[in-house]
Amino acid sequence: MEKVEEKEIGFLKMNKGKIFKLAKGFRGRAKNCIRIARERVEKALQYSYRDRRNKKRDMRSLWIEQINAGTRLHGVNYGNFMHGLTKENIQLNRKVLSELSMHEPYSFKALVDVSRSAFPGNRPAVKKEGLAAIL
Amino acid sequence: MATATLPLRLLPSKTLALPLPLPASRCSLSVAAPVPRRWRRLLASAEEAAPAPVEAEAEAAVEEVEEEEVVEEVEEEAAVPEPVEAQLAAAGAGKDADIFAVVMIGSRQYIVMPGRYIYTQRLKGANVNDEIILNKVLLVSTRDKAYIGMPVVTNAAVHAVVEEQGRDDKVIVFKFKKKKKYQRKLGHRQPNTRLRITGISGYEDFPADPILEYVPA
Repeated sequence: MEKVEEKEIGFLKMNKGKIFKLAKGFRGRAKNCIRIARERVEKALQYSYRDRRNKKRDMRSLWIEQINAGTRLHGVNYGNFMHGLTKENIQLNRKVLSELSMHEPYSFKALVDVSRSAFPGNRPAVKKEGLAAIL
Repeated sequence: MATATLPLRLLPSKTLALPLPLPASRCSLSVAAPVPRRWRRLLASAEEAAPAPVEAEAEAAVEEVEEEEVVEEVEEEAAVPEPVEAQLAAAGAGKDADIFAVVMIGSRQYIVMPGRYIYTQRLKGANVNDEIILNKVLLVSTRDKAYIGMPVVTNAAVHAVVEEQGRDDKVIVFKFKKKKKYQRKLGHRQPNTRLRITGISGYEDFPADPILEYVPA
């Protein structure tokens, strides 16, 4: 990593001011000392490149978890819910579905009912026992 | 939506004020160059197929509706959005109109409410203060009913105004291979467009699912 003609360790040829600006919030000497900061900033930029791709995967799995939690409140699990939606040709994506499950519970329940009618396979919608079943 | 607890999205604190001088500037822009814009819009709408679930590009996804709307837009550009804005301005703090829609722009889906803005991919061919009509509406929900599109709510349209054509924050793209003396550093700013949503219309005839009482299972 050390070039013979360079006096400082590390590749990044940005000047010190820019390195320290990117190194804000780093732990210990990595935010103050140029040799350490340069290495850490290099690593941070590599991580950000990799994680911009990972973020898309992580967000999608988070949305799936949230949709799962929302549908299980209504007695439907995620797999059957999505199957019912695709059968009805509803093309809302998981991001929007997770937002609806968090902030718009009534619209989300309408979606769950649509899915349940398209693909039954979970426990029935409302069970009324005793006197309520007669009424 | 619950009557007792309003969902977070409908809370008035998050909405932004409508820029009032917009109507005047919009009129002048439209009168200045009516004919070429009409051609462009008609061409764009002719290319676009029926609202099928085909993933569209950013430019083609924004389609203006048929000729009647275009004529209306050019001549009476003030008349179409102004009632909505006047109503919203008259409502005062109640800028959230108790309605939201899910619209697909540039193969990404957004939850939109009138009075708010969204950032989308750069829409080529749209200038600032243009009226835009978005047709790919996947879901419309009001206080009492949910219109769930399969896949699209037919004849529903979301009206928006192009506020700004800017760029995202800078992202530094840094590629590095260790021990091989390979590194590249590149800055990137993605172009985007800010749209202010003015209204949602055309969904009333669609078969709706009523939002029933919430019975927690």
